[in-house]
Amino acid sequence: MSSADGPVVFDPADFGAIPSSRSLRAWMRKTRRRHADRSFWQVFENIYLVVFTLAMAGATGGNVLRQLNASSARCTSISCQDFVNYLPWILVPLLVATTLRVLLSVGPVSASRAAGFWLLATPVNRTALLRPAYWLVIAVVAVVGALTSLIAWSLLGSQWRSIWEASVLTASLLICAACVTVWAQQRAVRTKWTLRFADLLLLAAAIPAIWLATQREPEPDATQFANVVINQSEADSLLTSGPTRLLVIGLVCLVVLLALVIVTARTLDQLTRTSVIAGGELLAGLAGAASSLDISMLADVVAGRHWRLKGRVHSRRGRGSRGAALVHREFLRILRWPRRLVIGFALLVVPYAVAGTGFDVLVPVAAGFAGFIAVRPLMDGLRSVCRSTGLVRALGMDLRELRVLMAVVPGLFAALWSLLALPALADGPATFAVAAGIISGAVRQASARPPSYAGPLVASPMGAIPPGLFSQPMRGFDLLLLCLAPVLLGLSSTWVLAIPAFVLAIMFAVRPKTD
Amino acid sequence: MSKKTAPRLTVTELQHKYGDRPVIEGLTFTLAAGQAIALVGPNGAGKTTVLKCIVGSADPAAGKILLDGLPIDERAEAVRRDVATLLDDLDFFPDLTAAEHLDLLARAHGNPEPEDLVDTLLDDIGLLGAADQLPGSLSSGQRRRLALATALVRPRKLLVLDEPEARLDTGGVQWLSDRLLEEKKSGTSILFASHDPALVETVADSIVTLTPLP
Repeated sequence: MSSADGPVVFDPADFGAIPSSRSLRAWMRKTRRRHADRSFWQVFENIYLVVFTLAMAGATGGNVLRQLNASSARCTSISCQDFVNYLPWILVPLLVATTLRVLLSVGPVSASRAAGFWLLATPVNRTALLRPAYWLVIAVVAVVGALTSLIAWSLLGSQWRSIWEASVLTASLLICAACVTVWAQQRAVRTKWTLRFADLLLLAAAIPAIWLATQREPEPDATQFANVVINQSEADSLLTSGPTRLLVIGLVCLVVLLALVIVTARTLDQLTRTSVIAGGELLAGLAGAASSLDISMLADVVAGRHWRLKGRVHSRRGRGSRGAALVHREFLRILRWPRRLVIGFALLVVPYAVAGTGFDVLVPVAAGFAGFIAVRPLMDGLRSVCRSTGLVRALGMDLRELRVLMAVVPGLFAALWSLLALPALADGPATFAVAAGIISGAVRQASARPPSYAGPLVASPMGAIPPGLFSQPMRGFDLLLLCLAPVLLGLSSTWVLAIPAFVLAIMFAVRPKTD
Repeated sequence: MSKKTAPRLTVTELQHKYGDRPVIEGLTFTLAAGQAIALVGPNGAGKTTVLKCIVGSADPAAGKILLDGLPIDERAEAVRRDVATLLDDLDFFPDLTAAEHLDLLARAHGNPEPEDLVDTLLDDIGLLGAADQLPGSLSSGQRRRLALATALVRPRKLLVLDEPEARLDTGGVQWLSDRLLEEKKSGTSILFASHDPALVETVADSIVTLTPLP
């Protein structure tokens, strides 16, 4: 190296052996600790409330689960048995497909841009640098898989031994899926084929769902008889298997998974820096949205990434002028991502499946939420307008007028969707309530302003927060439930029509708030 | 090229596409040790894409890129050791100071006691006064200088820089120009994209002009 007077010249003698990842991380920890402005106890004081809340929620949730498990086990209809028999065939492929898709969208092994530049671009062992992120993915997948199957099988009224077996097997399956995604992350072509496989699994999940949706409730006498036989055979099988089976399953899974996870860990150096950073950026965006409890922003981050990756599409000319032009542009924009429409229509299976199981009272709620999930992604245009005063100015219209225009195409889709769900809902006014709830709820959520930290703030264990922060996740769902309330409460058709109509009228008459 | 030396970087028939649209076609050049090549051209011509292909941030559709005769792969330790890059993918740890960032990079490259090197470099780039500042409190020009320093605090055989003059003041561009000439003298090869004719004129031994493809 040169003296301090002249420019720095590279001197190889200054550089020796490349340090280990562990020593580098230890250096970073030590350096960061010097900057810490809070002691351990101060941090603990802030997080104990969160830990306490989680413990309380866990205990309450566990208790509720036990109650639901007991009441589900008492269900003696053939519909219940159909549900119990077919749900695993829907749930497991759905879980694996979702795991594959979600993990590949975030990496699954990811790192921040800063880590990508300052650590991954150096000669330090990349496998060792990425190993903590990899283990975190495996742990999260295992916990999510075990918890999901624990909840699902409990709700099905299964025996506790069966529930634990299902949890172990599902968690193991999802860990395998996670390993596959790490392997797929290493090459673009592998990612492509893994995503196609995930789509196939979704189709596989749809088959039993459709079968369930098209079932009719059989005669009551036959129901009782069939159910007794099924319950008896299940009890016998459990008695013969005993806890040994759970132990064997657990051990086999452990051995297979350990081998797979370790072999996959050794391939981490094959991951490119770009693929690792891309997931890190997405996670950072999602974390930002989650910290403001803004569900719409979570969807924005995912949609933004989709379009960034797409990069280029064919331009299509518009038609008409002013309002008509905007409606036409919205139509073309929605067609630009046809997958969303396909998923939207596929969600029609939900109300039919619920109706098929005989839980008639739940059909409007299921239809409402499924329709909301189908329609809300189509309102990205409205969301962009509502979040950009510059865009509103450029379009030269009032925001209220824009909100109506931007909601026309998604609104028509919601109406069509609800009409297609009519046979499951089996009631005209209820169908109107569902459609109105979907439109008003989705419009309300899409036109929500971001939480503002510029106004008055409320003190909380997590620091100062805007007053409306905690109501943010409910935004949109509140109007959906309001529209469905007369149906759920069994009010007359007049109320079932009047309340949603009133909600819709108010929704589009009021001018959205702007900053 | 003014001197005949063995090529450090060889790019042959490089091709890259965004979707179906080609942005680079049939690009071929070689860069020897101690030489500099400037990539010039209008916005959208593919300058940054070429640099990304070379450092492994983008996959070429076709063509060969060799570093010291071997195919370049960003995952290889030798490439990470020898190629210093400055593209638009730089970000900072929010809780590490300017000095600590450089310290970290030097250590990661095998310098266990880089304090003197870091201090000298901070002085050289005019950031000694900002050594203890966190990245969030640095101006965009200071962040750019810090980014440039990252290429100089570590061993390098090849420097890949994307518009290194961006956001630098007049004095900064002059410093950069002098600095790159010093690098060439010490045997480092430089491949850079630039919109600054004076910098290109002063530093580059060859110029590769890219034009947007239809």
